[in-house]
Amino acid sequence: MNPWILLSVALPSVAGILLLAVSFGEYIRGSEKAFTRGVQVYTAAALALSASVSLYTAWQGEKECSLFEWLDGILVYFRIDALGRLMVTAVSIAWLLIGFYSLAYMGHEGKETRYFGFYLLLYGILTGLSFSGNLVTMYFFYELMTLVSMPLVLHSGSREAVMAALKYLFYSMCGAYCGLFGMVFLYRYCHTLDFTAGGALNLAAVQGHEGILLTAVFVMILGFGAKAGMLPLHSWLPAAHPVAPSPASALLSGTIVKFGALAVIRTVYYVVGPGFLRGTWVQYVWMVLALLTVFMGSLLAYREPVLKKRLAYSTVSQVSYILFGISLLVPDAVEGALLHMVVHAFVKCGLFLTAGVFIYRFGYTRVDRLGGLGRKMPVTLWCYTVFALALTGIPPTGGFVSKWYLAEGALQSGIPVFSWLGPVVLLVSALLTAGYLFPVTIKGFFPGEEKDPGNGAKEEPSPLMLIPLMVLAALALLLGIMPNPLIRYISQITLEVFS
Amino acid sequence: MNKILMLIVVLFPIFSGVLIPMLPFRGRRAMCIFIEGCALAESALVFFLLQNPPAETLTVFRFTGNLSITFRVDGMGALFAGMASFLWPLALLYSFEYMKHEHSEKSFFLFYLITYGITLGIALAENILTMYFFFEMLSMATLPLIMHTRTREAFLASRSYLYYMLGGAAFAFIGMIFILTYGTTSSFVPGGVLDTVKIGDKGNLLLLVYVLCFCGFSVKTAVFPFSSWLPKAGVAPTPVTALLHAVAVVNTGAFAAMRVTYYSFGTDLLRGTWAQNVVMALVVITIVYGCSRALKETHLKRRLAWSTVSNLSYILFGVVIMTPLGLVGGMSHMLFHSFMKICSFFCAGAVIYKTGRNYVYELDGLGRKMPKVFVTFTVSSLALMGVPGLCGFVSKWNLCRAAVDSENPLAYAGVAALMVSALLTAIYMLTMMIRAFFPGRDFDYGKLSEAKDPNWLMLLPLAVFVAVMFCFGLRSGPVIRFLQEITGVVRF
Repeated sequence: MNPWILLSVALPSVAGILLLAVSFGEYIRGSEKAFTRGVQVYTAAALALSASVSLYTAWQGEKECSLFEWLDGILVYFRIDALGRLMVTAVSIAWLLIGFYSLAYMGHEGKETRYFGFYLLLYGILTGLSFSGNLVTMYFFYELMTLVSMPLVLHSGSREAVMAALKYLFYSMCGAYCGLFGMVFLYRYCHTLDFTAGGALNLAAVQGHEGILLTAVFVMILGFGAKAGMLPLHSWLPAAHPVAPSPASALLSGTIVKFGALAVIRTVYYVVGPGFLRGTWVQYVWMVLALLTVFMGSLLAYREPVLKKRLAYSTVSQVSYILFGISLLVPDAVEGALLHMVVHAFVKCGLFLTAGVFIYRFGYTRVDRLGGLGRKMPVTLWCYTVFALALTGIPPTGGFVSKWYLAEGALQSGIPVFSWLGPVVLLVSALLTAGYLFPVTIKGFFPGEEKDPGNGAKEEPSPLMLIPLMVLAALALLLGIMPNPLIRYISQITLEVFS
Repeated sequence: MNKILMLIVVLFPIFSGVLIPMLPFRGRRAMCIFIEGCALAESALVFFLLQNPPAETLTVFRFTGNLSITFRVDGMGALFAGMASFLWPLALLYSFEYMKHEHSEKSFFLFYLITYGITLGIALAENILTMYFFFEMLSMATLPLIMHTRTREAFLASRSYLYYMLGGAAFAFIGMIFILTYGTTSSFVPGGVLDTVKIGDKGNLLLLVYVLCFCGFSVKTAVFPFSSWLPKAGVAPTPVTALLHAVAVVNTGAFAAMRVTYYSFGTDLLRGTWAQNVVMALVVITIVYGCSRALKETHLKRRLAWSTVSNLSYILFGVVIMTPLGLVGGMSHMLFHSFMKICSFFCAGAVIYKTGRNYVYELDGLGRKMPKVFVTFTVSSLALMGVPGLCGFVSKWNLCRAAVDSENPLAYAGVAALMVSALLTAIYMLTMMIRAFFPGRDFDYGKLSEAKDPNWLMLLPLAVFVAVMFCFGLRSGPVIRFLQEITGVVRF
């Protein structure tokens, strides 16, 4: 029993629920009050405090905590391991930055109390998800994550937003139920559902039931892949992102989709074990799906005129880099996948927050409106450029390192066809990425003649919005210049699961 | 003494029900207090009985040979009786408020109490004849309740109800005769009573009879293709739909199916045969069919009724897996579904009572005006979807686990059906909740000025149900262990 783990889950949750209660009271009375300074301070303090508690808890070392018997023979069980620690750290950084950005941004969306209520609650849930020690506990937080993030999507309450939120909800639910389907089979054929590096398959029991078990695992990968935007359940992403407030899109794309990938990693590397899947049809179909998604996502992003929707398609493509890395079942590729998880979290947060700045300042949502911004907001546009470089994978940014490892892993895997097809698809997709991201930079700095350059006045956003962007850009660069500490840390994880 | 108590708990509500039209009450309030008093006393008696179960059986009446009306308390009966006596007083509380805007209350409460007694009769039945007897009586006693509104629609619904019930009972009767002929005794014995010597080479005939008998009893559980009576019966006042057509009456069908499968025919005879495949296929089809119909339905109560059709087949799915774990899953869903579905029906009833709105598309914006009802409604929806932390997840988990453990390919398909059904449930329940809470940005709340939360009579049961759903959802261990004890006595 470790009180810190409970505290790190409970503190933001309770803080969020309190805000939600206030907001619900206002909603019933029909009088949404303005977001007062007091509530702002409360939110910021709660956020900072919970983030420090979570980080402190995560870096305390291997700790575990079992609560009570939830189902017959299954405990509510938390355990901090290297992977969970990595997730919590990335999420906490993103959460703090998006949180402060939101304090400034959400003024123009309204209903801030409700937004921050769900925002804090969601942080608690993601912490719980990262610290979960068995599959059932993880599933519990996974479903809660869907339910609690849904109100962020429909924040504006417009009909379009509500429909998009429902789409998000049902795709995620469909994914979760697929996950549950597989879980029941794993419960039968594994020694334990507790996460064990390298898997805990009961080989004696599996004998003769390989077919059904492979099907179950495949269904799970598809299901959890829905959250990560993998084909065929990807289409909620481009629907949900444009209608959500920009910081909400940032946290959807930056963090929540990663938990789909996390769930897949937990299933494949911590419950089933990579050895069982290697060389099976599941691995091949999975690789095909991931590569298709990588390519198709980039292609769709390339021809999408609305910036946030373009970024959403880009997420579809980029998160499948991660899934492809995981599907190769070799250490280097998994290392690349985990690196890409961290890099993409920061970079995609940054991109959506930049898109938010454009919307907040000018109300521009389409890419072709964004000409000539380099003069008006140079710092913002430079940050954007760094993110674009990182997402394309150009050194010296973090994206280069992660893609390098992914490609190297694919080449080393020795899987026929895919060992060279993978890197080729990644390369083509990188080209497309450059093609859909850089026009904003180019038009921004070199608008050409027809665009009105304005009177040269600076229109940078407030520091509360600008600083998170700069920090994220710095992180994207830092991960490219000094990737070694992170790589060393991640190689511990891969060493563990492949031993 | 305890022995006699079994008879008393069956007869007491029937007599007190009959007294209602005869007693000269001074005002409605007095009548309500009398009825609630009777129900509470009855529930107290039942719980006392279950705490001190009599060891021996009580034969009330003997026709001939081994044909008798006999009572006994066993684990499965105790579960069913306990569930009924927990829900009845709460449902009555709700009815007092709800029935204010309906006419001829006395006849309503008369039959409502009688049904209570009959349900307990089924729970405590020691042999198949007793169960059959009360099963038939239940069909008759609930008929006036469906007819209650006296509209043309109600008459048509009750006619269809009657036909289905009589037909079902006829098939069940065939099963009963065969059990009496080929069994060693008419009593319910864990593991079945069939005598292999008597069966000889008539194994296939008996399997056919089992399928008929199962379908006959399951007509009450609205299994496909006998499900259309249930949504039609939704014309009855909400307390009837909620307690009888989502919980008590329909569960007696599942209960009877459990009895004949595990205690009369015996799973040794049935497991792995074509008979098991046939009934399981029916059940799996119903699971998906009910949900799809619910999705298509726009009438609030009928949508919930179709959802009941699907969920009842979850219970039957547990039953037809024919392993102890399957029975545990089936029984746990019987228990948990009762709370979830009665809760959602009561919420729907509260909306109908307060606003007169009957259709899903009329729910726009009501979340703000009736927050307590709709928060409860949302919780029960989440429970029905099987969100972990609420009770629906626990029973679903147990059912799936049992299906996987049985290593029957058809049961694997059943697991997939459960997941599809959960997704459909999410869609048809949550779209209603989203409508209620997020009607669109420029929705005019002025139209809803008259709508508000109902009074405590309606809210108290809802609060209790929500508490129960959370308790079972987070701490299911004791209940499941109790169910395992019950099934542990079944020979496999």
